[in-house]
Amino acid sequence: MSASATAGMPRAGGTGGLALGLAVLGFALLAGVFGPSLVPHDPLVQELAARNAPPDALHWLGRDHLGRDVLARLVAGTRISLAVALGATLLAVGLGAGLGLVAEALGRWPSFLVFGAFDMVRAMPSILLALTLMVALGIGIWPLILALGVAFAPHMALVARATWRREGSAGYVAAARVMGASSLATLWRHVLPNIAGALVTQAAIIMPRAITTESVLSFFGLGVSPETPSWGRMIAGASRYAESAPHAVLAPVLALCIATLGFALVGNRLRLALDPLRERGR
Amino acid sequence: MTDVPLNLLRRHLLLGGAALALPASALAQATPRAGTLKVAFLGLDTADPHRHTGSIAVQQVYVETLTSIADDGTVKPFLATGWEISPDGRRYTFTIREGVRFHNGRLLTAEDVRANAVRVRDQVRGGWLSAPMRLVESLEAPDARTFVMTMKEPYGPLLNLLSELWIVAPESEGWAQTIRLPIGTGPFRFGQWQPNVSFQAPAFAQYWQPGLPRAEAVEFSLRDDSDLSLALRAGDLHIGRVGYDKLASVRADPNLEVQFMKDTTWWFWSFNNRSPRPPFNDIRVRQAVSFMLDKPAFMRFVAGDAGVVTNQMAAPGQFFWDKAMHGADAHAAPNEERARALLREAGVNPATTPCRIVSWQSAYSEIAVQAMRKLGFQVEHLALDDIGAQRRLGQYDWDLAPFASGPRADIFLRFVRLMSDGPNVGLWGGTRDAEFDRLVRAAIASVDLPERRRLYLAAWQRAIDNYYTVVIGHAPEPIVNRREVKGYAPGFTWGQHRVDGGLAFAAVTARS
Amino acid sequence: MSTALHAGLGLLRQAMLLAGIAIAVFLLIRVVPGDVVDAMALEGSLDDDAIVALRAELGLDAGALTQFRIWAARALSGDFGTSLRFDRPAAELILAAAPTTIGLAALALAAGLALGIGLATAAVLWPRSPLPALVEGLNLWSIALPTFCVGLAAILVFSVWLGWLPIIGQWLSPVVILGIDIGGQVAKPLFEDLKEAATAAHIRTARAKGLSPVRIVLRHLLPNALTTVVALGGLILAGMIGGALTMEVLFGLPGLGTLAYQAISGRDYPVIQAVVLIFAAGVVLVNGLADLAQRALDPRLRR
Repeated sequence: MSASATAGMPRAGGTGGLALGLAVLGFALLAGVFGPSLVPHDPLVQELAARNAPPDALHWLGRDHLGRDVLARLVAGTRISLAVALGATLLAVGLGAGLGLVAEALGRWPSFLVFGAFDMVRAMPSILLALTLMVALGIGIWPLILALGVAFAPHMALVARATWRREGSAGYVAAARVMGASSLATLWRHVLPNIAGALVTQAAIIMPRAITTESVLSFFGLGVSPETPSWGRMIAGASRYAESAPHAVLAPVLALCIATLGFALVGNRLRLALDPLRERGR
Repeated sequence: MTDVPLNLLRRHLLLGGAALALPASALAQATPRAGTLKVAFLGLDTADPHRHTGSIAVQQVYVETLTSIADDGTVKPFLATGWEISPDGRRYTFTIREGVRFHNGRLLTAEDVRANAVRVRDQVRGGWLSAPMRLVESLEAPDARTFVMTMKEPYGPLLNLLSELWIVAPESEGWAQTIRLPIGTGPFRFGQWQPNVSFQAPAFAQYWQPGLPRAEAVEFSLRDDSDLSLALRAGDLHIGRVGYDKLASVRADPNLEVQFMKDTTWWFWSFNNRSPRPPFNDIRVRQAVSFMLDKPAFMRFVAGDAGVVTNQMAAPGQFFWDKAMHGADAHAAPNEERARALLREAGVNPATTPCRIVSWQSAYSEIAVQAMRKLGFQVEHLALDDIGAQRRLGQYDWDLAPFASGPRADIFLRFVRLMSDGPNVGLWGGTRDAEFDRLVRAAIASVDLPERRRLYLAAWQRAIDNYYTVVIGHAPEPIVNRREVKGYAPGFTWGQHRVDGGLAFAAVTARS
Repeated sequence: MSTALHAGLGLLRQAMLLAGIAIAVFLLIRVVPGDVVDAMALEGSLDDDAIVALRAELGLDAGALTQFRIWAARALSGDFGTSLRFDRPAAELILAAAPTTIGLAALALAAGLALGIGLATAAVLWPRSPLPALVEGLNLWSIALPTFCVGLAAILVFSVWLGWLPIIGQWLSPVVILGIDIGGQVAKPLFEDLKEAATAAHIRTARAKGLSPVRIVLRHLLPNALTTVVALGGLILAGMIGGALTMEVLFGLPGLGTLAYQAISGRDYPVIQAVVLIFAAGVVLVNGLADLAQRALDPRLRR
């Protein structure tokens, strides 16, 4: 069992994985941005007479339980899922990493308070937290983004702090301090770019979780409003008719799985390349 | 999975060939009670029958009442063998049945009935009985078999509402506050209760009706499952409610039988009547909205072939339904041009008019949203959970509310929701119409049935003319049972035990 | 810093954490619109007077601070209040639901660890077989496929289309799904750790001495790699709570997750507070234990 025995094996993730992941994400992005204008049907228009119709030449993925075109809803749902994921991740980074780093740079007590608060949020199961926040804030995209952002902020804060501590003890930072730069300036000019790498990696992990959590919440009746074509809502509505209209539930389920897979593949590769916390050459 | 109980099997083996010679009915009577019925209807939120605030599909198996609503909606004697009403309609004299035992063995007396009525009047706030209880002048039990209830004024729905005044033994634990273990007279006893999970009720051996109950126990599933059809098909459940969308697959299964509850669920669109926002305070706009509503398509969507379009709270065929009023329904079919014309006439441009719709997260509410959007309004749809919807409705900052409401023991319980001081009036827009109130109060004070009907109809005509709420249609609830359950039929309301049917009469036979 | 002082400070910190969570949850759920009286009023049997009276009776009309004071005092003595909906002690409801959740979690964890450790070990022992690729694949599965989706798919395939399994109340699917998810989270880091440890000097010596690979793995590599597993344990458990909750609600298992979900829907404050507190306390406890275990196992971590 020497190292050479494993040397010949394909690298975990590999370039094949990255290519596939990027392809999936790229397709999702295109679908989200341009899709709704390309698909000729309106995702909201109902046609009660054609409830649960199977796929045909006009409606490639058939209709759902209210007669709406599944493909149109799927594509519109892509846009919503990506928007929610992006929004939530940005909020998590801003709130978590931003607040965490500022607190850390300011000193021991601010750091203690802020990270104590983050610990509290982290100790609550994120699903419960999101559930409660959603019931409090109501249904809709913005409350959803807020709830998800808050739920994932602590994770970002911890990663940012770990990277900061690691980089903060590096030589170049000490040199900058010796030359009279303040803590905040040091933070801004020297350390942030290095932290960005770690955060991007975390983002690749958080985004699929945000998409999934949104789906779970929408499935349970919270999340986006019922007619909004998010994947979770589509699954919730169609799962009742799974027997008679499998196409209506399979489409969003597959979309969800493929999207998270894409993120996972890309995130895997990013982690290997960007994360300064990992030792080189592993 | 239905297990054949061991004692039943043994008995059959012992009887051997002789059993085959006996006629089926004799064998049925000779068969001891056997099997556990697994059923699922609505939930159970309290062990105190007087304090129930919701569904009443479970209580009836362990506690009973003086009167019972029969399958045709009329009120029949139950724990009371009969009653006399004084000519002025204020004094009710009930004869209490002999030989009825509580679960602890004690015999029922009129004093027990009186104690229950007193408890509901004095200790319980709210509930559908609170209105009649406020009108009570005196409650007496002159002897062990007679109970007298004197009202301050005649109260028509009293006998029907008494079908929900459950008689519990006063020695039940928690009588002074909240009963934790009710000792009733029902065919089953109060067994194990796991809130929101299950409730077990074993048979009561000394039940006053001979030969009943036929099952050894009933197990209620109290879970919030939306789709029971799969459990029924698999045999995990014997009896349960099933949605219309699953009826086709249920009917295709030879092991299942579909029946319907005798009273109906009805769907409606309500407008904001408490503080309507312009332009929805203009009657022409309300008419326009109603012309946009495709009632037949809506009823087909929610109930398939079993749905009936009408414009009244009583279902077609019921005593309080009026054919002429039904025939005069202006909105029996949609009329889009008329809708748009009315909007123009009212000077309303829907493209610049917001329309806020509050509903539960139901599929049918999306039909309403679609219709409003088609008319051109800027629709904001708030699809909320039960409580959220309740809260929002109470704020009266909305325009349209599509909802549904279930069976009731008396038509009064539907009219009361449009009265100024009625309970939970949000779903009907918080109507405050003094003339409407007067007509309904006159109706319930009326002793003569045809007169009561006339007054109710007059009140309802006001609701139609002012567009307080627009009835879409009615449909009965489907209840599905497995064929190995014999003798079960759903009743008028959700009650699972009545004078002429219910779970006590149901027997679980072996699977063929 | 001595271990005892460190442990003591750690405990204090956790206690403050719990207190903070309690306050936060208390306030949070009161922000939620509607309360249990609204839930009870749904059926249309409570008029306005009755609603006001019921609120007073349940203590819901007092100020938030007063309510918290009363609740905290009782909670510290073990009285978690009475469910506002069912009029039963919240502790009783929790005790009834806890075995299901604990059982599900324990079984899933056991299955996951068995799968993860077994697969990682086997992959190290037979590096030329497809096993290392399987480790990668499993890891990808657990990252990419949300348990919620797999659960739904399992219901659709096995209960609706094939009819092999009942939907309500079955444990097989949730345990398997969660187990695979956990296995995926454990297998890859453990595999990497084992591979790296295998290149260490003393292992090469052992190989040179002719000891069998299996023995090397079991006696020398695994015990050191346990720290990895324990470190992962905390993360896994935190993630598992969310997964167990969705699995419970999806498969209709009467555990703490279903209880929490219904309590939130029904605005049953005492039950929500009690359940969230229990969950948080559990997470805190597990993290604390994992921390201690790590220190015990790995001398490098002891200061």
